[in-house]
Amino acid sequence: SHLKAGIAGSRGAPSLRALPFLFLVAALLGMLPLLHSHGLQSDPVMASEPPHHYPAVISGNEPGDITAAPLGVSQEISPLPNHSSPGHAKNRKAFPVLGIDYTHVRIPFEISLWILLACLMKLGFHVIPSVSSIVPESCLLIVVGLLVGGLIKGVGESPPILRSDIFFLFLLPPIILDAGYFLPLRQFTENLGTILIFAVVGTLWNAFFLGGLMYAVCQISGTGLNDIGLLANLLFGSIISAVDPVAVLAVFEEIHINELLHILVFGESLLNDAVTVVLYHLFEEFANFEQVTVTDIILGFLSFFVVSLGGVFVGVIYGVIAAFTSRFTSHIRVIEPLFVFLYSYMAYLSAELFHLSGIMALIASGVVMRPYVEANISHKSHTTIKYFLKMWSSVSETLIFIFLGVSTVAGRHYWNWTFIISTLIFCLIARVLGVLGLTWFINKFRIVKLTPKDQFIIAYGGLRGAIAFSLGYLLDYEHFGMRDMFLTAIITVIFFTVFVQGMTIRPLVDLLAVKKKQETKRSINEEIHTQFLDHLLTGIEDICGHYGHHHWKDKLNRFNKKYVKKCLIAGERSKEPQLIAFYHKMEMKQAIELVESGGLGKIPSAISTVSMQNINPKALPVKRILPALSKDKEEEIRKILRNNLQKTRQRLRSYNRHTLVADPYEEAWNQMLLRRQKARQLEQKINNYLTVPAHKLDSPTMSRARIGSDPLAYEPKSDSGNLPIITVDPASPQSPESVDLVNEELKGTSCLPPSPEEDEEGLVMRVKDPSSPGTDDVFTPGAGDSPSNQRIMRCLSDPGPQPEPEEGEPFIPKGK
Amino acid sequence: MGCQSSHPSAIPELDEIMLETGFSQASVVRLYDRFQALDKEQKGYLSKYDLQGIGELAVNPLGDRIINAFFKEGEDLTDFRSFIRVLAHFRPVEEGKSNETGRPEPMNSRLRKLQFAFQLYDQDSDGKISRDEMLQVLRLMVGIQVTDEQLVCIAERTIQEADQDGDGAISFEEFATSVEKLNVEQRMSLRLLK
Repeated sequence: SHLKAGIAGSRGAPSLRALPFLFLVAALLGMLPLLHSHGLQSDPVMASEPPHHYPAVISGNEPGDITAAPLGVSQEISPLPNHSSPGHAKNRKAFPVLGIDYTHVRIPFEISLWILLACLMKLGFHVIPSVSSIVPESCLLIVVGLLVGGLIKGVGESPPILRSDIFFLFLLPPIILDAGYFLPLRQFTENLGTILIFAVVGTLWNAFFLGGLMYAVCQISGTGLNDIGLLANLLFGSIISAVDPVAVLAVFEEIHINELLHILVFGESLLNDAVTVVLYHLFEEFANFEQVTVTDIILGFLSFFVVSLGGVFVGVIYGVIAAFTSRFTSHIRVIEPLFVFLYSYMAYLSAELFHLSGIMALIASGVVMRPYVEANISHKSHTTIKYFLKMWSSVSETLIFIFLGVSTVAGRHYWNWTFIISTLIFCLIARVLGVLGLTWFINKFRIVKLTPKDQFIIAYGGLRGAIAFSLGYLLDYEHFGMRDMFLTAIITVIFFTVFVQGMTIRPLVDLLAVKKKQETKRSINEEIHTQFLDHLLTGIEDICGHYGHHHWKDKLNRFNKKYVKKCLIAGERSKEPQLIAFYHKMEMKQAIELVESGGLGKIPSAISTVSMQNINPKALPVKRILPALSKDKEEEIRKILRNNLQKTRQRLRSYNRHTLVADPYEEAWNQMLLRRQKARQLEQKINNYLTVPAHKLDSPTMSRARIGSDPLAYEPKSDSGNLPIITVDPASPQSPESVDLVNEELKGTSCLPPSPEEDEEGLVMRVKDPSSPGTDDVFTPGAGDSPSNQRIMRCLSDPGPQPEPEEGEPFIPKGK
Repeated sequence: MGCQSSHPSAIPELDEIMLETGFSQASVVRLYDRFQALDKEQKGYLSKYDLQGIGELAVNPLGDRIINAFFKEGEDLTDFRSFIRVLAHFRPVEEGKSNETGRPEPMNSRLRKLQFAFQLYDQDSDGKISRDEMLQVLRLMVGIQVTDEQLVCIAERTIQEADQDGDGAISFEEFATSVEKLNVEQRMSLRLLK
């Protein structure tokens, strides 16, 4: 990342600088147990509150963990019964000016400290660029976790273990939501068949193959492993066989592989959740009965469909409700992002409530709500959602890996060479065989086949992660006495896949020259051609009489346009065709980039410009430079300005997403949009007019004015679609694609001298004051006292000597 | 689909068709059935009217253009050979087949697919997509709600982006460049037409 690049120059110093930083963090964590034991002695009254007030969020329920201490303390309370009686004058202490009450803030304090550690770690890795380019972040984080765990253990406390409920309820959802909300839908649906086959059949194959083989190993080896039944082994197989989305994301994100492979592996890791849930519950229920009847198998099948489709259904419902809610949020923009997060989280929790697949619910809700919500919410909310999701998922991921490391140190382990090594080997074999077999089958149906290189990456990218660990952790001891061994095996496999496969995948990708992601933005051309080809293919399918992929997609789109969009999108945007929405989004992005790069401030002072911005008289200032004109031309210009300003306001309101609250940022982009449109139009007019025989009123200023006000002449019919006319930015460097021609034209003409004395005239040409590079004139509201602004106001308010002509009359009658 | 499958011997010029288009015999038979099903009066030819009778094509924005692509300039009827020749463009590309020199460009190659798509844009066949032609296509795809001004902006922007030699129109090479990333071989292939 750019941080790496920037620091690459000074390698030695940052790593030295980073060291005390890391020590500080480790020290902070080491302080935890000290603070804790201190806090317990501070106020016995406080400590005697029932232990369940400390919900023990971070610390697990393992014996010997931190929460065991208060129990000990409260037992000490009983011999001191009189201490708490108020008003007892004998043991009165001095009033404490300064005191420590750690127990009061303990839980939030510890949580914050852990999150802080995670964030500082992330920061730290980028300071040491050499390491982070070889080792993926996930590995580094696990190592950190190991170190911290070791540190805590060394201090004498027992380190916390990643509890399953915290993992599933708090750490996993942000990552999945982030993935689901920003899922590249086109590639996902195009490859859905492949992804589903990998997810469902692949996971089933892995689970049964591994479970069966491990059972065989257990039977054969005999040394204490004999009592692990087939079902227990199958359960173990189902836990370990699921590809983990967190690990996949963490590793694949860094290698920038091409979109097809990314979506295949990632999609598989998301969709196999349903299979994992079903298998896990199935085997867990029946692990202690050695017999599995046919009924159970059938019920298992049914359960799979219920779990997956039910999850999707729940997600869709919440997605639709969220989209519908967002339709009405135009007045309270600030809480829009919260709706997105809350509805998605509720979808996840509701699905988990019914033992449905929460991950699929989350993905479905994100996918369903996104197009409608994005059409309804403001740009700022969109940015907020994006950044919050990225932030949460990033922190979650970091925490998960750190906790994996800590849990490794903290947990009880039972190492059995045979079991663990064979697990490892069979895992890899199962994955490779599964991918090869399935690809052979899938390639019969794919247009773009999967090459052996692709297959290798898919197989190699099957990383296991924290989900497997948490599922293993959930097993209870009574039914699964070998739980510790399972956990050890799971952790071994996770470590192997994350460390070995994670570290080597990047050089392998380079070695095999796998196609990388193309980092280009989508252009309007591509969008148009994509839609064009979609229509074309749908038509050809219809001619062939074949109801294929395109046919159904087209039907869905039409249904969407006709019914769904009307319900879920507010106002006029419900009718906006996709192409137009795309175009607007693109324009806005570019306008914002332009503004952020300071393009507005760079107008050279020597060149005069004619420009007009969206006049919203009460909100924004307008700095413009106008040509010097004779008086009657001024009148005409004034008239036209007035007419078209009204039209502008009407017109723009229909495209403005929140008319009541004039968000200056959004106003700004409207103006940018207009400016650039006009610049382009100007170039086109120049092209036209330069070839047209010279008009009678031929002074440069007049021709400029004529051209500038041209759209009326261009569109003689008076439709309400006229954009404001005099918006020409010929010399502004920020509209690069337009107007070199016009620049030339203007540069050639003589630069008119500034005439500040002609204030009363209203429209005067003058040289624009050089604005300082930082200020964008669009964003300085309230500078309404500038002379040009006043002039404009006067111009606008002046009714003009002549009665207003009807709208649509050309500015300068042709041929006059 | 046709109610009964035709016998391969009933199809005229079967071998030449298979050679020219690269379709398998099964595909040719299937398409012949479809041809006959569309040809309601059993003329042996398809008229534009027959194709317009397909319901879904009527709602397709590009429906008319697609239909016209099957008919040669000025003609009103198309026989099976021309019909299948157009559909040959949409056969999936075979991977791994090297480009044998000396053989003519197969009909389903990337180049041919692009040429077919380009043809649909370029109605007057002057080898360029002018601004008006782009505007027409946009108007077809976008519908009635959008005003001319907006479409003009988009059309101009589109041409500006793609136009490299500055002639204000998109030539075939420029078109090919702008769809480079779109994976045309996959997009313009129908799996059933093997």
